[in-house]
Amino acid sequence: MTTLTEQPAKTLERGYVGQSIPRREDRRLVQGQGTFFDDVRRHGMGYVHFVRSPYAHARILSIDVSKALELEGVYGTITGDEVAIHTDPFFEMSVEPGGLIKDYALAVGKVRHMGEPVAAVCAATRELARDAAELIEVEYDPLPVLVDAEEALEDEVVLHDDAGSNVVWSGVFDWGNVDQALAEADHVVTIERLHFHRFSSTPLECAGALVEYDKGTGEWTLICNHQMPGVGAIWMAPALRTGIDKLRFVTHDIGGGFGNKICLHPQYVVLCLMARKLGRPVQWTEWRTDQHTANAHGNERTFLDVEVAVKADGEMTGFKVKAIDDCGAFPRYEPLGCIIWAQVTPGMYAWRNIRVDFTQVCTNKSPVSPNRGYSRMQHLWLTERIIDIVASELGFDPVEIRKRNYVKAEQMPYETPNGCVYDSGDYAAALDIALDLIDHGSIEERRVKAAARGKLLGFGIGSTLDSGTNNFGQSTLLNPELQFSGNNEAATVKLDIFGEVVVTLGTVPQGQGHETTAAQVVADILGCPPEQVNVRRGHDTWFNAHAGFSGTYASQFAFTGLGAVKGATELLRDEMVKLAAFVLQAPEEAIELADGMARIKDGPEEAALPFMALGAIVNANNAFLPPDFNPTLNHRYVCRPYFGMVDKERKTGQLTLTYATQIHAAVVEVDPETGEVEIVDYAAVDDCGVRINPQIVEGQVHGATAHAIGAALFEDFVYDEDGTLLTANFYDYHVPHAMDMPPLKTGAMESPSPVAPLGAKGMGEGGGGGIHCIGAAIQDALRPAGKAIVYDSCNPPHRVWSMLQDPGSTRTNVSVVSK
Amino acid sequence: MLLREVDYARPSTVEEAVALLAGYEGARALAGGQTIVNVMKSRAAAPDVLVDLANLEELRTIGFSADGLLEIGAMVTCAQLVNSSEVDVARPILAEVAATIADVQVRNRGTVGGNVCVNDPTNHLPPLLVALGATFTIRSRESERTVPADEFFLGVYLTAVGEGELLTKVSVPPSNDAGDGFAGVTIGKHGTYIVDAAATVSDDGVRIALGCVAAAPVRATAMEDRLAGSDFSADSVAAAAQGLGASLDPPSDVHGSADYRRHLAEVSAVRAVLQAAGRRKGA
Amino acid sequence: MATPARSRAISLVINGEQVEMEVPARRLLVHFIRDDLGLTGTHVGCDTGNCGACTVQLDGEPVKSCMLLAVQADGSRIATVEGLAPDGDLTALQRAFNEHHALQCGYCTPGMLMSASALLARNPHPTEEEVRYALQGNICRCTGYVNIVEAVVAVGGGA
Repeated sequence: MTTLTEQPAKTLERGYVGQSIPRREDRRLVQGQGTFFDDVRRHGMGYVHFVRSPYAHARILSIDVSKALELEGVYGTITGDEVAIHTDPFFEMSVEPGGLIKDYALAVGKVRHMGEPVAAVCAATRELARDAAELIEVEYDPLPVLVDAEEALEDEVVLHDDAGSNVVWSGVFDWGNVDQALAEADHVVTIERLHFHRFSSTPLECAGALVEYDKGTGEWTLICNHQMPGVGAIWMAPALRTGIDKLRFVTHDIGGGFGNKICLHPQYVVLCLMARKLGRPVQWTEWRTDQHTANAHGNERTFLDVEVAVKADGEMTGFKVKAIDDCGAFPRYEPLGCIIWAQVTPGMYAWRNIRVDFTQVCTNKSPVSPNRGYSRMQHLWLTERIIDIVASELGFDPVEIRKRNYVKAEQMPYETPNGCVYDSGDYAAALDIALDLIDHGSIEERRVKAAARGKLLGFGIGSTLDSGTNNFGQSTLLNPELQFSGNNEAATVKLDIFGEVVVTLGTVPQGQGHETTAAQVVADILGCPPEQVNVRRGHDTWFNAHAGFSGTYASQFAFTGLGAVKGATELLRDEMVKLAAFVLQAPEEAIELADGMARIKDGPEEAALPFMALGAIVNANNAFLPPDFNPTLNHRYVCRPYFGMVDKERKTGQLTLTYATQIHAAVVEVDPETGEVEIVDYAAVDDCGVRINPQIVEGQVHGATAHAIGAALFEDFVYDEDGTLLTANFYDYHVPHAMDMPPLKTGAMESPSPVAPLGAKGMGEGGGGGIHCIGAAIQDALRPAGKAIVYDSCNPPHRVWSMLQDPGSTRTNVSVVSK
Repeated sequence: MLLREVDYARPSTVEEAVALLAGYEGARALAGGQTIVNVMKSRAAAPDVLVDLANLEELRTIGFSADGLLEIGAMVTCAQLVNSSEVDVARPILAEVAATIADVQVRNRGTVGGNVCVNDPTNHLPPLLVALGATFTIRSRESERTVPADEFFLGVYLTAVGEGELLTKVSVPPSNDAGDGFAGVTIGKHGTYIVDAAATVSDDGVRIALGCVAAAPVRATAMEDRLAGSDFSADSVAAAAQGLGASLDPPSDVHGSADYRRHLAEVSAVRAVLQAAGRRKGA
Repeated sequence: MATPARSRAISLVINGEQVEMEVPARRLLVHFIRDDLGLTGTHVGCDTGNCGACTVQLDGEPVKSCMLLAVQADGSRIATVEGLAPDGDLTALQRAFNEHHALQCGYCTPGMLMSASALLARNPHPTEEEVRYALQGNICRCTGYVNIVEAVVAVGGGA
């Protein structure tokens, strides 16, 4: 676990920021004293169980709840018919045909994926609720099933009759002049088909909520683990025909999210209806099998007819591709995945001519939701596959061809063909660190040694970007009528009567350590130790620290979350200085905040006010303050990053703000007899600008790498032709365990962001670097055994074995025309 | 996650346990519970009565019979196998394989009896015990009988242990001159097997059993015959495995096609035999 | 002869305290611990016995409390995460988890601690390989295990 650190060119003045302070969250969590939603109890609460469809596609003929209601201890039920009466369909973001889809909280009339909730029952105990669910009789009329995205395009079977087509959204993005680039190229490399598979980060804590309804005020309180309540409320309130402020989202500790806890609004709406109907608190805890079958898969994407323009020296000038994205049965957060990838249109490369013909379809599979690296990861896998297939076909070295095509450090800030600005970074230097970590110079020697042991050794690189902070204006590139743009996040900071600094966040952390890093930022500004700063756990939409896009997603805490904390703290600091100047009868310029005090710089020892004195004056002893001076010591700040408007015609604009760099490198050994892949060396280099807390940053790199390794080798949501999910639990959906993980070497660089408030870039999601480098390493390993092309993002032993058996079948996928 | 209602009893003697199993319809023995509790959680099956064997201390011992067989009580846990000096002396492959079953927690609860009576095709012990030529002692109210491994495993959740009967011990011949091997491909380290093979090589010949290729372990008898008098070189063992895959009718699933399993059966059998031959005393 | 019954009065010691309660035969030990005893530090992360978030120690050995019925624990001695530092004075292992950033969301942490503390009791100076082997039954989705393994090895005095 080596750590190499390149010194940043521009060093910032740092105090607590930049230090690996041990996390403040940990003390409760290591004692089992965290509070997760399922830990919370209410008097008289009932437990909810969902009745789920065993069919992937069927008409619902009837639902009979009478036997369930006869069971003693059953409080009540809700079915799709009631949902259709009491709620409106969720707001759809797409233009037609996707915009015509009606998505309700429970299946209405029809089920469209296995595991889709068709009814809910509430009872006195968990066990009883499940007993009652078994007594609910549902009659189905099965319909033909669609599990293939390309077949869905034919519209012979249509999931949503209201839309009349399986297409959710389609459009062409055309930047530069790809036809000219292809015409002027020395080589054109064509790849017929690449497939990015379905998987998800599967947070260890499943979804759920405890919902209370206040009959007197018509307000619901959701003690839950939603990771993006701002947007959750935007979905839920209109569906429930109520106001946003009638929905109070409260989170405490959350057991991981990774994007998978963004699309919980359907289940939550059912809970709201149930709580109101029964007049009692109701609780639902999703089980793992439910999570796998019916909550949040990552987007599956097929890339067809890729054509890449390559110059004789390996410089690539652009590519075109047809992308088909499979969003499963409902476009819940979609079609945003049809544009989010465009934040990283050329990957890390200076490619100017790109055409993407993008179509998203529905199939009879679990709905998707954002998943760590959302939509960009799929696209970056494409750019990395392109570079390694081109390198392999035309005989270029994978390191050299990358360096030739990377955006150069001296080109920063670099505007991509679609108007995004890569803010800073030195990709080639980061690659060199990764190569050093895995001792790239010895690869050929190790290859020979491995061959002597009967193993095929391979080396691969994954170079990716982690773009941070969504500009929601990009949604208008999909639907010009949408009234979304920009982004925002809020925080409040106050000084309490006894001198405690209290911070509330708009963000909704699920393990990212916000309580710690926010305290570091505040402590530096106020000149006090972080221990004096109390950052409240969790999120509560009834605190003022809440804005329309509040949440923890899109790698944006470092920018907007901490930007809001910084802004609010600076307002507080200015007021504290002003107050101290007034009390100490000194000019404001003479006041400094240090050691937990406001004092006169270089003044006598007694010319100092501890924070407690300031807090006490404003809160409890304020009669002597003049009428025109009214400090509150309580500040809210909304960080609203500047994006400008997107150009809907040209489909260009600043879609995001910061770009962290990750270069991953893997060395693998393939057992040619079995297809098993073992990672024998691995390095991950991250450059996210200023690291507020390097240990936390490194932890995020470890986690993203583990997700990528799991996805590259094991994790795959596979359906059979009947639409049954074959990997519905942790037996068949194998995630990496401790013995599966290779030792990880990490390295870091700091290229501060010129645009971010603290020079810190969003990070943590990663761009799926591990998926890219492991696939590349497998392709490299298979070279002496028939030169198979890696065409899928998941390569479990059976697939690698097939590639070894019949490399020719993968090679028909690729052709080269040279002039 | 939530079980159906079930009745529970915890007998103090084997006689009482057998009487309960015979006396109540839908009664099932509960050993470590590392499979049956999971099955009940999914509600894929729902026994009416669970007869918990936890208090039957006599089933928790490892020892030797008068004629020198290693006797493993049905309630011996995988962790016990791993740490047993008797196993280490008599048949260390049992400990070696048990040490790779799932994880520490499962090995602490999961029992030999449970592992073999469930006879999930991916379980480690059934093919191993077939290769080792183990015998199984089954008690009923009326009698006690002994069944050889080749006749014990009948199908998934189906063994020679009938209704109202209880497996009490598994007897394994000591190694003497034999060498044992076990090989296969798992989903992740120590994960579920996609295919596995166990082999033993001794003066009496070779025994090879395959897991995951049918509802019960499959003896590779043709390969065993071809290895009679073999020099156990890599080439000759590989040659003996030719045709093994084609003789099988394994399932296709998300982890591998039938063809892949046929191929892995040959690779695993070769590896297990080579390992066994290499470990044979005097080899 | 014992008569099969829908429920059973059980008696066990949990974190040093004697508990006696009538429980339904079908109740899982993890739900008994969480819902009946209110010890919510023990978590549920899956429904197939794979994830280990529910790991507790039963008579000193780590077990998954979602694969045991509460009635099976009758007569046993159970330790949960809440019992590690009853007075809030963190153990060396808990401190190491903090210092080495061995947790992010903290959901797997109680199970990890119960597996790791059982390992350290048996083997006070484990190697990295031994730690990975001992933690094989505990899934973490946040850390990639790197810092967890590092923390446990460090407690044993290893590098």
